[in-house]
Amino acid sequence: MRRKVLFVTMILLAAALLSGCAGGPVRGATWPGLAADEDMAYLADGPSVLGIDLADGREVWRYPAENERGFIFYSTPVVTPDGLVIVGSAGTDNILIALDSNDINRNENNTSSPAVVWTFEGADDQWVAPPLVVDDKLFAVNSDGYLYILDLQDGQSTKQAVEAIRVDGRLWAQPTTDGERVFITALDHSVIAVDIETHEVLWNDATEGAVAGSAVLGPDGMLYVGSFASRLEKIDPASGRREPVLEAENWIWSTPVLDGDTLYFGDLNGWFYAFNTASGSLDWPPVQPDGPITANPLILDEYVLVATESGSVFAFDRAGEMLWSQAVGGKIYTTPVAAGDLILIAPLEAEFHLAALDQNGRQVWTFTEGN
Amino acid sequence: MWDYFVSIFVNVLIWIYDLVGNNFGIAIILFTILIRIVTWPLNAQQMKSAAAMQQLQNDKEWQAIQKKYAKDREKLAQEQMRIYRERKINPFSSCLPTLIQFPIIIALYQSITRALGSSPLDLLKLSRSIIFPFLDVADLIPLNSKFLWMDLGHPESIPIFGFAFPTLALIVAITTYVQSKLTLPATANPNDQSAAMGKMMSIYMPLLLGYFSITFASGLSVYFITSNVLGIVQYAMQGKANWSSLLPASLRSQSQKK
Repeated sequence: MRRKVLFVTMILLAAALLSGCAGGPVRGATWPGLAADEDMAYLADGPSVLGIDLADGREVWRYPAENERGFIFYSTPVVTPDGLVIVGSAGTDNILIALDSNDINRNENNTSSPAVVWTFEGADDQWVAPPLVVDDKLFAVNSDGYLYILDLQDGQSTKQAVEAIRVDGRLWAQPTTDGERVFITALDHSVIAVDIETHEVLWNDATEGAVAGSAVLGPDGMLYVGSFASRLEKIDPASGRREPVLEAENWIWSTPVLDGDTLYFGDLNGWFYAFNTASGSLDWPPVQPDGPITANPLILDEYVLVATESGSVFAFDRAGEMLWSQAVGGKIYTTPVAAGDLILIAPLEAEFHLAALDQNGRQVWTFTEGN
Repeated sequence: MWDYFVSIFVNVLIWIYDLVGNNFGIAIILFTILIRIVTWPLNAQQMKSAAAMQQLQNDKEWQAIQKKYAKDREKLAQEQMRIYRERKINPFSSCLPTLIQFPIIIALYQSITRALGSSPLDLLKLSRSIIFPFLDVADLIPLNSKFLWMDLGHPESIPIFGFAFPTLALIVAITTYVQSKLTLPATANPNDQSAAMGKMMSIYMPLLLGYFSITFASGLSVYFITSNVLGIVQYAMQGKANWSSLLPASLRSQSQKK
């Protein structure tokens, strides 16, 4: 009898533990995606995408209105010029959705939810990368290794890809463009250029390591990417030829952010770099705030803001002097977003899901789901 | 502590993956063989204990004390312990390999999802899990999760007439059933508790592991199947596989008469 009890207990324990690790549509499976426009913040966080009023941090809507098994959101939402919020699901449905933040419906449980303007269900894997809007086209890369080009003006509610281009690799970063080409980075150690008009793959160049961030176009007309080979590399956008320009201390996860001639980025050892593309050297020696950096730096008028895994944000002026720092809480992996006078921070494992700071790092409001 | 345990699994898996030319399915199979080799003495001990316990059920002295102290459970337990001591039998050693399986399954599941880095947080955790200094993980990432028709990071199914048929789950359930039946000793004693326990395991374990295979990453199913096949081979090699127990009861009695 005692053995039977022990056996059944072990089975139940194993089932519970495995179920706990299964990573269903739960908050905290990975870090959230965050975007904002003039009035609203958009937080893609586990089972739902939330629209939050910037004035007071109040939830205005959520999608879906009730949790659905197939949906997991953590890709950064993209707000189109005509006000649509486009976001992909990393759940089993592999769906890309466009929501109309101005067309809100209330269900019987009094939950407000935006209207779905269109969906795209042609991808085979999860959406991690935010799509890129270029005029009337949407360039969306999926973990299945395809670039899907959608027509934003075709009026279809169930979209079909105008073209699906196999570029291979796990595609986790938002494409970038120079107006003539779209540049795609892949975890599978490559950068790919696609002609924006003909959709032809122009070149596919191997990098030293996996690239989790986007490529950035420098003022010198060259592309810059950081990789898990702990290197910042410069790539000729016409030919795809590349050369390493800076050795970092550890993996570069974030997308380098350009301000004037300088690229700002961090690494997983917590070093923060200011690389001058004109001189080919650092503007100032790297600084090490207080933890690993996966979020992209945020460029503001007075300073550059750096968020760390330790849950703090640091403001550095252009000379590398720290102006202020603020402990926000939790772990910050998501890139901070500027919205008017506010700085929005979406930490993981914090007591709240979103915090708004003023320009001096003082907390204005916090948002906690369910409150 | 637990995280370190999972990290060891992650490192060994990635090391094998690198050695075998970036094939994660082969890495899981070889890793399972490694686990089987490491736990071989335990499995051998389990078989020995199961056989000794089985013999004990038919022992006259054992049966006599069952009758004599049927109403005095405390005294019965004391007498049973005395016999265990005298004959050097550890009644719990037959459970040990089964109990050890569970933390291994959980750690393997976590190490598969972490090694495959299917979400940004998993990939970030992977960067912190590398304890073997000779592993160049930055060069190996992302690991190739495709093996045969499967994506080892996701549950497996094959579409048949529009229905997603869980092939691996079925193979897991069948091999688990076969393995548990083969190791189940034949007994004629209706009060044999260990036989009743074995019978329960041969029903519930295939269902449980089949459920796990439908729900979790198919890499775990590859582990279950490999482990079951190796278990069957191990019993067969030691000449202890009870093949007749796979037959229905009526056919079994006919074959025994012959």
